[in-house]
Amino acid sequence: MSTNSRGQRRKYHISQRVNQVSPSGIRRFFDLLASIEGVISLGVGEPDFATPWHICEAAIKSLEKGYTMYTSNLGMPELRQELSRYLRDNYNLEYDPDSELLITVGVSEALDLAMRAILDPKDEVIMPDPCYVSYNPCVILAGGTPIMVPANQENNFEISAADIEARVTSQTKAILIGYPANPTGAVMTRDKLLQIAEVARRHQLLVISDEIYAKLVYGVEHTCFATLPEMKESTILLGGFSKTYAMTGWRIGYAAASREIIAAMTKIHQYTIMCAPTMAQVAAIEALKSGEDSAAEMVEEYNRRRLIIVKGLNEIGLPCFEPKGAFYAFPSIKGTGMTSEEFAERLLIEEKVAVVPGTAFGQCGEGYVRCCYATSLADIEEALSKMKHFVARYQTV
Amino acid sequence: MEDEQVWALIGVKLIPQKDVGFDSIAEHIYRFPQARTVYLVSGTYDLMVLVVCKTSHEIADFVSQKLAPIEGVQETVTQFLLKRYKEDGEIIEGREEVKRQPVTL
Repeated sequence: MSTNSRGQRRKYHISQRVNQVSPSGIRRFFDLLASIEGVISLGVGEPDFATPWHICEAAIKSLEKGYTMYTSNLGMPELRQELSRYLRDNYNLEYDPDSELLITVGVSEALDLAMRAILDPKDEVIMPDPCYVSYNPCVILAGGTPIMVPANQENNFEISAADIEARVTSQTKAILIGYPANPTGAVMTRDKLLQIAEVARRHQLLVISDEIYAKLVYGVEHTCFATLPEMKESTILLGGFSKTYAMTGWRIGYAAASREIIAAMTKIHQYTIMCAPTMAQVAAIEALKSGEDSAAEMVEEYNRRRLIIVKGLNEIGLPCFEPKGAFYAFPSIKGTGMTSEEFAERLLIEEKVAVVPGTAFGQCGEGYVRCCYATSLADIEEALSKMKHFVARYQTV
Repeated sequence: MEDEQVWALIGVKLIPQKDVGFDSIAEHIYRFPQARTVYLVSGTYDLMVLVVCKTSHEIADFVSQKLAPIEGVQETVTQFLLKRYKEDGEIIEGREEVKRQPVTL
């Protein structure tokens, strides 16, 4: 509160839109974590590798040469050309680098831009529950309404086209999906995605496909949504470098979509961001040109850890479906009789192991916790050992 | 680095021997367990030998009593390892650890 020139009390208002976004449901858990030392954290959502040195070196060299000015709003032409080549080589998709690609500050910004570009007040966006924490807020902040579709362990956390279609109304604008998924590690099969594409086509919906974990798949092939029949024009494909090349801190990603949508997204981007960081763009060029081997090595290492953690969780009494993508395991903790938040808090206090309560990602995350295996094998094994003692104390089923 | 060990790189200059070449001298050297690694190299010295002993005194003794007297060894230079930064592709611990945020969603 403050007073104006007439001595009247004036209240500063926060917008209704922002107030509508729920505060983090696990604030208490975060605060608790901050107060405890020596925690083994399986709660980190980023690679434990540093960015491969050749990528860092490319950026450092560019700084030495003085490349510190703005780039084009769309992003450096060379980066967009490399990206266009990458999408052609990997998915046989043709995107015009001059009008159908936008370089953004991570997939995070691309998602935000996409929502702000397409949503009018009260427009609805259908998305899975549980899902990445930003999906819901991005829709609300853009003035839209998120509509949640439950996914569960029995279906390996893949949402069904029928469930999506049952929620389509005259207000529905888009479907938002992110596979491979955070927090579940689920990968959608091509057949299931085709069914979703059919729903989108039938109801003329846009599809926003967050494919940040596209390269982190194990024993299955990733299906890029934009490659599905008749979907390229209506898909906003979001991708990035954070997980594939361990570049989370660089804040660099992209959107690939139709001319009209990219133009709309660029309109917002040019006024709010100007351009993605120049040195990050240089690094991204190097990643696309020469980063494939480094990326493959990391994926191989994630896979090794994935097999160990999934087996371990199942053995200690936390049933876990086999995640085929990303670097998360999403075991059920229902057998302990606790809520997700209780489980995570008590595990943290009693065993100093941090996992993220599933409820951080949506109501359907109740009964689950997210365990990230982007951490050393030694930490994973020690965490499993401590969790085994914990579960043995509380197992009711 | 294991405890109680001293490492040294020894450059060995050889006098080539008729009908024998360097191989037999290299074999003579690598049969010593203290010679952990033996390479034939180009440049001023012909062989590079990585020697590991318990003390620098033992290294000095090895060089003077076992290595230098070998027939065909003309000259040696001993360089003690002071600090290891990277070995066999692994960066040695001791670098400042960059910590991640304990939880990121």
